[in-house]
Amino acid sequence: MSSSVIWYLKEFVRAEWLRKFFFAKTAPLETPAHFRGFPQTTENECTHCFACKMICPSPGAIDVLQEGDTWAPRIYLGHCIRCGLCVEACPEDVLTTGRLLEVQKIDQTSYVSAFHVMIDTVLCKRCGNCSVACPVNKEIDPYLAGTGTASSEEVIMRIIRGEMRVIHPEKCTGCKTCEESCPNHAIRVARVVQGVHGPKGPQGALGGGEAPVLEEGGEERS
Amino acid sequence: MQKIEDMVCTFCGCLCDDVTLTVENNMIIAADNCCTVGNAKFMGKNRLKTPIRKKDGAWEKVSYEEAIDYTVETLLNADRPLMFGWSGTHGEAQCIGIHMNELIGGVIDSTTSVCHGPSILAIQEVGHPGCTLGQVKNRADLIIYWGSNPVEGHPRHMSRYTVYADGYFLENAFKERKVIVVDVRETESAKIADEFVRVKPGGDYAVLSALRAIVRGKGDVVPESVAGVSREQLFRVADLCTSCKFGALFFGLGLTMVKGKYKNVSNAIELVDELNRHTKFTLTPMRGHWNVYGSNEVFTWMTGYPYAVDFCRGVAFYNPGETSAIDILARKECDACLVVASDPGAHFPRACVEHLKDIPTIVIDPFQSLTTPVADLQIPVGVTGIDAEGAAYRMDGIPLKVNKVLHSDYPGDAEILSRIYERMMEVKGQ
Repeated sequence: MSSSVIWYLKEFVRAEWLRKFFFAKTAPLETPAHFRGFPQTTENECTHCFACKMICPSPGAIDVLQEGDTWAPRIYLGHCIRCGLCVEACPEDVLTTGRLLEVQKIDQTSYVSAFHVMIDTVLCKRCGNCSVACPVNKEIDPYLAGTGTASSEEVIMRIIRGEMRVIHPEKCTGCKTCEESCPNHAIRVARVVQGVHGPKGPQGALGGGEAPVLEEGGEERS
Repeated sequence: MQKIEDMVCTFCGCLCDDVTLTVENNMIIAADNCCTVGNAKFMGKNRLKTPIRKKDGAWEKVSYEEAIDYTVETLLNADRPLMFGWSGTHGEAQCIGIHMNELIGGVIDSTTSVCHGPSILAIQEVGHPGCTLGQVKNRADLIIYWGSNPVEGHPRHMSRYTVYADGYFLENAFKERKVIVVDVRETESAKIADEFVRVKPGGDYAVLSALRAIVRGKGDVVPESVAGVSREQLFRVADLCTSCKFGALFFGLGLTMVKGKYKNVSNAIELVDELNRHTKFTLTPMRGHWNVYGSNEVFTWMTGYPYAVDFCRGVAFYNPGETSAIDILARKECDACLVVASDPGAHFPRACVEHLKDIPTIVIDPFQSLTTPVADLQIPVGVTGIDAEGAAYRMDGIPLKVNKVLHSDYPGDAEILSRIYERMMEVKGQ
């Protein structure tokens, strides 16, 4: 017992150990080229296609908000995990981080996505939260957004004949707002996103290539 | 097939006035914009066809004339008749009910005495810092639901009036709004709240007092935990309340019908008063029945009191706890009961329902309910909003005209009650 204590003391008073301990040298703190910080906005104009919200894996990390007449993505730092997916998914290059955009341009990579909105009619209370909160609905039918009363047949979903029905699933941008506003977890948006090789297309969030086909089985339960 | 727009849903206190009904062959075949409960009411089936009367333990059909005669005889022969309900019918019928009660010198009480009665007592004591739901929708950036679960009880409350609807004075309406839910269990509403405060049952008064202390700047007196709510969370909630631009507190039976009763509500009003020194804050009870607010309005303008009005002295007398339906039934005081548009069989304590069974009980209601088995006579009527019409008050005190869509042979509540009232006057020779 006493010998081991002495051994330790001897070890720690070695000049070399003490010198290394007090004059430790680490590599200079430089941000490496591949580092991804929190996404920053570029000069490009946001078209509020919600592709960033769609792809974001971290709940509550990104939102697309109206600022006067324009829209802009907002990153919530406490929630963002700096994965950079929003930067890659944005068709307008509104966001940037590290050299992600540059690499994407060289590699010619982009995303194609497809969505399927499902409503569990057993769980659904027809409270209308999803259809009123939906940012796409809000733009198509401002009356619905302001009063909770659907006045248009062009919205993604609304209450028809006592059921919350998905009438225009093709307009869904997969932003998950409906899922977050549903107290019963009755609405689900299935997102199928594929990374593809090819330049970013003009189709907005859908990127370049063909949209992936959704497997059967994601049908509405009734 | 005909589409009729802007119909009023007569189920809960939200009184949604944007329902589109599709009518075919004098039948409602679809209801658009409605929630599940409203839809069930509009599409409701199994309505009673004729009045039914219990004779020797079995039900037999009787005519409306016979039913009216029986009602008049029973109520006039009673020494202490009770007329309970009134929340599920329109204002015109409530007016006739009060006239009738004055004539027979009975007790008239609405379902208020078992729901927001304590809120009214508190409002009488401290006042009501209220506003319309439109103000909340257009201005509020903080919504508090205390002891109420709107997702289940008032499904469209959040999407139409509070959280999700766009507000005129808010740029990104529901993203800017914060929602706080205070309850004893994690309700469905709590799942979409920014802050869920779980209070131990019966601890609401203490939590409200702690919040008042913090808002007053006396936070140092607050202990580590108040009724199961941590000190940190109380400070967080108080901070959300004081830093908002416009806050709206909605409360339900989780506050009014637990330990502390009206003292809880008066404490909540005091908190709102306190918060109004920092920002704008309002308080609204989540009224249950679609026209329970109307019953309080009608009772008040006609008798001076909002519910539990006793006419046995010939003048209106009001003393909740003595003249409220539950107490009169529990004391086995009344000897005949008229139930209009409510279901005490489903909601009253066992002793009260047993007494209802022992005395002659007459029910005026379109559907069979849990009160039907303890009744001696049930008179079916038109459903206000479907085949009867009248005036109703929303939970924020806004009066709305409720129209009808169908033509039926059912008399409305007001019609059947006025026939009973007229017959009573005839019998009394007035």
